[in-house]
Amino acid sequence: MSNPVELLERLSTVRGLRGSVLVSAADGLIVAESLMTGVDGRAVAALAASLMNRLRRATECAGRKEPVFLQLQAQSGSVLATPCGAELVLVAVAGPDANVGLARLEMLEAAGRLV
Amino acid sequence: MSDDIRGMTAELAADPDSLIFLDLGEALRRRGQLDAAFKVARTGLSRYPELAKAHDLFARILCDRGEPDRAFESWVTALQLDAGLVSAHKGLGFLYYQAGDLASAEKHLAYSTQVDPDDTGTAAALERVRADAAASRAPQAAATAPEAVTAAQSDPGTDAAAPGDASLPTIAATGGLAFSFDEGARSPVQEAVFSGLDGGADGLLLVDANGLRLGGGLRNPDGVDVADSVAALLAGVSKEAARTARLLTLGDWRGLSVECGDGNLYLSAPSESTLLLTVRGLDVPMGRVARFAERASVAARSWLERAE
Amino acid sequence: MRSVEPWVTEPLERFLAESSARLTLLMTSAGQVIAQHGFTRSVDVMTAAALGAAIMASTGEIAKLVGERSFLSLVHQGARQHVYLAGFDTPRGRWIGLVVFDAESTVGLVQLFFDRLISDLAAAAPRQAPEQQVLPENFERELNASLRALFGR
Repeated sequence: MSNPVELLERLSTVRGLRGSVLVSAADGLIVAESLMTGVDGRAVAALAASLMNRLRRATECAGRKEPVFLQLQAQSGSVLATPCGAELVLVAVAGPDANVGLARLEMLEAAGRLV
Repeated sequence: MSDDIRGMTAELAADPDSLIFLDLGEALRRRGQLDAAFKVARTGLSRYPELAKAHDLFARILCDRGEPDRAFESWVTALQLDAGLVSAHKGLGFLYYQAGDLASAEKHLAYSTQVDPDDTGTAAALERVRADAAASRAPQAAATAPEAVTAAQSDPGTDAAAPGDASLPTIAATGGLAFSFDEGARSPVQEAVFSGLDGGADGLLLVDANGLRLGGGLRNPDGVDVADSVAALLAGVSKEAARTARLLTLGDWRGLSVECGDGNLYLSAPSESTLLLTVRGLDVPMGRVARFAERASVAARSWLERAE
Repeated sequence: MRSVEPWVTEPLERFLAESSARLTLLMTSAGQVIAQHGFTRSVDVMTAAALGAAIMASTGEIAKLVGERSFLSLVHQGARQHVYLAGFDTPRGRWIGLVVFDAESTVGLVQLFFDRLISDLAAAAPRQAPEQQVLPENFERELNASLRALFGR
């Protein structure tokens, strides 16, 4: 497993990302973080993990395989998340000007290295 | 299990790519073993998605299972792949007749008799459709309850089943809905909510804020209806999405896209108190799924306004 | 949700709505109950309050042994339900929160919203608290009054 903090810091270089956290999926607790000032890491971790868990239940009910990437789009930005195995979730907070396509690719690659 | 089915089953097991699945599926359907027929046809369809006869077989089985909307879609697909497939024309003629669209029924059955003039069953059905159409045009004509049109279920060149054949379902559930055959034809189940939407068929689910289904439908890859149970979970998902966006000071949430290992999902809110789930296969990029969801949202809003 | 202090009601209701907690108890560090949600029997409230206060007191001693002033919170993870215990300062003194939650929530969510509850309580507390001396002869009367308030009887 690669160094989580290094991967998160690399992810933070993507334009428009305000930071990223590695979260314990079951607890919603932070494992590692790289966040800009003003971003509430604990809130990001807890809420994103809860959202991912609910989506897992919904997709399972729909007979689909597990989510591999999600984007919650809002008025002033997005929350991006991808599972890293069964126990971790990589979450990023993006501003409205973020390059989400690039962020997605970087997150999927980082998730692969974190498993 | 009869010898012929046993033999075909063995042949298919030995060679899963064999087209024997067409005969096996039909044999199982005629014996009323619809679950087995469904699985055989679905598996064959996954291997031969461009084979019109596979869609035709699937449609017949769906019809027998009492799923006319999906049968309709499958026959439409069959004709898109092979515009001359007589059995698909017969099937659509049957569905149109049951739905009360006599003009469309006549069109398809007339084509069938033109291609196969020896098929007396289809010819008789066509006469019946024409008689009913004439009666409905006559001002003093009394309406008669339509008998089951039997030709749709018979193979070309074989004897048509007699009227009232128990193997044919009555599709009273279509309730006289009129729908037209064209390339963008929609399932009657979707017609009410997603009217005017191109390309929409399965995988559109409209839900209220309490997790109750308002319209549309959703089936899992095994064909099981999961719409109501997924609808119940979506209410919690949307509340969590709204809360996440709010507490992270991102404003109101606008959409939630989810890539799964075998499909793409998009959740949006056509109105303040409704949710729309759009599900598509991996062959449809997420960007397109989101655009399609926007169009479906427009259709849903129009329907909601009409319904109020 | 019931509370003996009216100003606790709104912050606690917000916490309950966001955290999806099944049971919640707010008490003083001495085990006197301030508010409860989800309990159906007064004896359960009294038992939980006594045990919660005792757990916090004993873990406080362990904290001192390892050189900590106190532990901020404790989590007990069960098979289906879990317990979150945390001590915090209020304008009315040191209180303890006991939260029972299940799969509908997570430790992260409970912690997140519990911290917000602490802030909300600090903001909602009346500026001047009335002096209250709990004398032995009126302790039982006060306890019974609290229980009546907590169970609406």
